[in-house]
Amino acid sequence: MSNDIIQKWELSRRRVLGGAAGLGLAGASGAAFGQQAGPWAVPPKAKVDRLNFVVWTYGDIYTRIAKQFEADWGVKVDSTISSFNDHPTKLTTMYAAGEKIDVSQSSPFSFPNFVAQGLVEPLDDMPGAADYAKDFTAFTKQVAMVNGKLMGLPYFATSWVWNYYTDMLEKLKFDKPFATYEELIEQCVKAKKDGVSRYPILWIAGVGLEQLPGTWYQMTWNKGGMFFDKQGNHMLGAGSIARETLKWWANTFEKGLDIADPESLKVQFTSGAKAFGAGKNLYRGPNHHYGLNICNDPAQSPIAGKVKVHGSPGDGRTIADAHVYFVTTANRNKEWAWKLLQYLGGKTKDGNYSQAINLAKDAMLGSGFTSVMNSDVIKTGWAPWGDVPEILKIWDKSAYIGEVCSSIYQPWHFPWTDQVNIEVQKCLTGQITADVCCDNLIKGIADAKRKV
Amino acid sequence: MTARRRPWYRREMSAGSFAFFMNVPTLLCLGLVLAYPVIYAGYLSVHKVGLAQLRRGEFAFTGWENYGRVLEDPLFWVALKNTLVFTVITVGSEIVLAVMIALLINQTSVWTSRVTRFLILLPYAIPPIANGLIWSFLYSFQFGFLNRILFSAGLITDPVNWAGNPNTALYAVTVPYIWRTLPFAIILVHAALQGIPKDLYEQAAIDGANAWHRFRHITVPMLRQIVAIILVLRTAFAFAVFEEILAITQGGPGDATWVAAWYSYKIAFAPPNNFGMGSASAYILALMIGVIALVYMRFVYRRVTL
Repeated sequence: MSNDIIQKWELSRRRVLGGAAGLGLAGASGAAFGQQAGPWAVPPKAKVDRLNFVVWTYGDIYTRIAKQFEADWGVKVDSTISSFNDHPTKLTTMYAAGEKIDVSQSSPFSFPNFVAQGLVEPLDDMPGAADYAKDFTAFTKQVAMVNGKLMGLPYFATSWVWNYYTDMLEKLKFDKPFATYEELIEQCVKAKKDGVSRYPILWIAGVGLEQLPGTWYQMTWNKGGMFFDKQGNHMLGAGSIARETLKWWANTFEKGLDIADPESLKVQFTSGAKAFGAGKNLYRGPNHHYGLNICNDPAQSPIAGKVKVHGSPGDGRTIADAHVYFVTTANRNKEWAWKLLQYLGGKTKDGNYSQAINLAKDAMLGSGFTSVMNSDVIKTGWAPWGDVPEILKIWDKSAYIGEVCSSIYQPWHFPWTDQVNIEVQKCLTGQITADVCCDNLIKGIADAKRKV
Repeated sequence: MTARRRPWYRREMSAGSFAFFMNVPTLLCLGLVLAYPVIYAGYLSVHKVGLAQLRRGEFAFTGWENYGRVLEDPLFWVALKNTLVFTVITVGSEIVLAVMIALLINQTSVWTSRVTRFLILLPYAIPPIANGLIWSFLYSFQFGFLNRILFSAGLITDPVNWAGNPNTALYAVTVPYIWRTLPFAIILVHAALQGIPKDLYEQAAIDGANAWHRFRHITVPMLRQIVAIILVLRTAFAFAVFEEILAITQGGPGDATWVAAWYSYKIAFAPPNNFGMGSASAYILALMIGVIALVYMRFVYRRVTL
C-alpha cells in the first residue's frame, strides 16, 4: 500500500518536473516567435471600466470582437452600430454632443475631414504603432498616414475590377472578354442585337462617394487621365480625358447605344452585385473586387460560379482604396482605446491579425497589411469566389483613389461630390451633355468651397 | 344695498382665464421640448459652427452670412422648387382623397365601411423609412412588382424606370408619401363629418336639395375649418419630407428629387458638417411654412355661419 503511494508520488513528481520544463520551453518559444510578448499582449497601466466603438454594421463581427476583448482583458465593450450611410451622422452627432467615443471607423473620403476637425487622435506614440505602419500596403499608407503621422489602422482594402457572366459570353461565341473599350461596346451591341441581354452593362452609378464617382474616376484613370493635378487644378476642361470618358460613358445610356441597364443609376456595390446575380447582364463594373462573394455565392445568386473577374483595358491600371478604424479624441483613455483599436484593425492578444483574416475568409475583403495580402489566407480565403491570382494581378496595378481625385483631401470634396452625383446623373439620363456637365462641375468647385 | 364682492379665489373664472390655465401645461411642455431646439438652431444659424466648434461650444458670430450662402446656392433653389411641387401634389391629393374616402366610410348603412375604417389606418402605422424601402422594391426597374403588374395587365411593353427617370422620379416619391400620410387626413375629415348635424341634411332634402346640393352647401362649408387645419399640418409635414427621399432616391437621379429637408440634412450632417448653414436653410424653410400657414388661415379658415 505504502509502496503504491510512493510510486504514485514519484510518478507525480516526475510529471510535475516534466510539466514545468515543458511550460518553460513553451514560454521561451513564445517569446522567441514574438507572439505573446509583443506590445499587443501587454495590458495598459491605467484602469477603465468600459470602452466603446461606433461603427457601421457588418454581420456579427463587432459582437464577436467585443466578446473577445472582454474575455482577453476583462473590460466591457459597448458598441453603437448603424448603417454605412448613417454612420458619419451618428458619429458626428455623438461627438458634437460631448459623448465618449473610444474607437470609430471612416471611409477614405470622410477621414481627412475628421482629421481636420480634430476628431482623430494621432497614434505614433503608441506601442507597436511603427510596426503596423511598416506593414501597411501602399494605398493604406495614403489613407492612414496624414502628414507623416499614423492616424488609423485599416479596416479593409479593395481594388476596382470588372465582372462578366461566362454563360452569356459563351452564348455570344466570344472566346474572351473585352480587351479594349471599343470591343466592350462591340460585344454589348451584339448581346443586345442577338437578344441575349437587353441591357448588357450594369454600371455602378448610384448616388454615393465611391459608386458613381468611383466608376468615372476608374475609367478616367484607366484611360490615362485624372481629375485634379498635384497643385489642385482641375482637369475637367475641354478635351480632357475625364470629359471624353464621360461622353463615352453617357453614350452607353438611353440617348446613345442604349446598352446600359437603367438600374445602374440606383445600384450601390452590394445591390449591384445582387442585381448582376439575376443573370440579365453581361458585364458589371468597374467596382470593388469583393462583389464576387455575392455574385458567386449560391445562396445569393442564381448564376453562382459563372461570374469571373476581369481587368481593365490598356495597361490595366485601376484604382483602389482602404477604409480605416481610428481612436477618437473623445476617448476615455488613449492606451486602452489603442488596445481596442488593434482588435478591430490590428493584432489581437495572440499576435494575429484576427479581424483582417476573418474578413478575408468570410467576406473576401482585402487587407491593408502587406503581410496578410501576401499570406495564404488571401489565396485560400478568396478562392471560393474568384480567380485569386487574376485579382492580385489587378491589385498590383492599382493606384490610390486620392491620386486620381486629390480633392478627397479637401473639406469641400463632399459638397462637390454631391454635385458630381447630380450633374453626372443628369448627363447619363440625357438631360445635359457631358460638356455642360463638366462646365457645371468646374463652376461647382467654387460653390462647394462656399459651403465649408 | 350692494352685494358683497367675493374674494378673487372664490370667484367664477372667466372662459378666457379658464382656457389659459388649461393650456399652461401644454405650453410648458412644448416650450421645453420644441422651443429650446428651435431657438438654439436660430442661434447656430448666425454663427460659424462645424464639428469642432460644436464640441467645444465656441462659435464665431457671422451674422447673416449663412443665410446669404444658402440663398446664393443654386442647389437650394432647385431643392425648394422640388419641395413646392411635391407639397402641392401631395397636399392637394390628400385633401381630395381624404374627403372622398371619408364620405364613403361615413356611410354607416354599408357594413364594409366599418372594415375599411380599420384598414385605412394601417399605412399610418408603418414607419416612414420602412414605407420608403417597401416602395423602392415596388418601383424596381427590372424586378419591381409594379412593373410586373402593369406588364401582366398589358398596360406596358417595356419596364418603366419610375424612380430612376428624372421625369417621373419626383412623382414616384409622392405616391408612397400620400399612401402613408393619407389616413391622418381621412380621420380628421371623418371626425368632422360626424359632427355635422343630421337634421341639416334632412331639412335640405325636404326642401328638395339633391345630393350634390347637400354636399356643396352643407358638407363643404362645414368641412372648411378642418380642411384649413389639414392644409396647415400637411403642408408643414410635406415641406419637411425626408424619409421617402432617403429610402427611394437619395435626391437622384441628378437633382430631380433634391428637396429642402434633404438639402439641410446634407449640409449639416455630411462632411464638412456646416451646422450653421444647415440651420439657416432649415430656418428659411420654417419661415416659408409659417407664411403659408398664415395665408391658409386668412383665406381658408372661416367661421361657419349657417
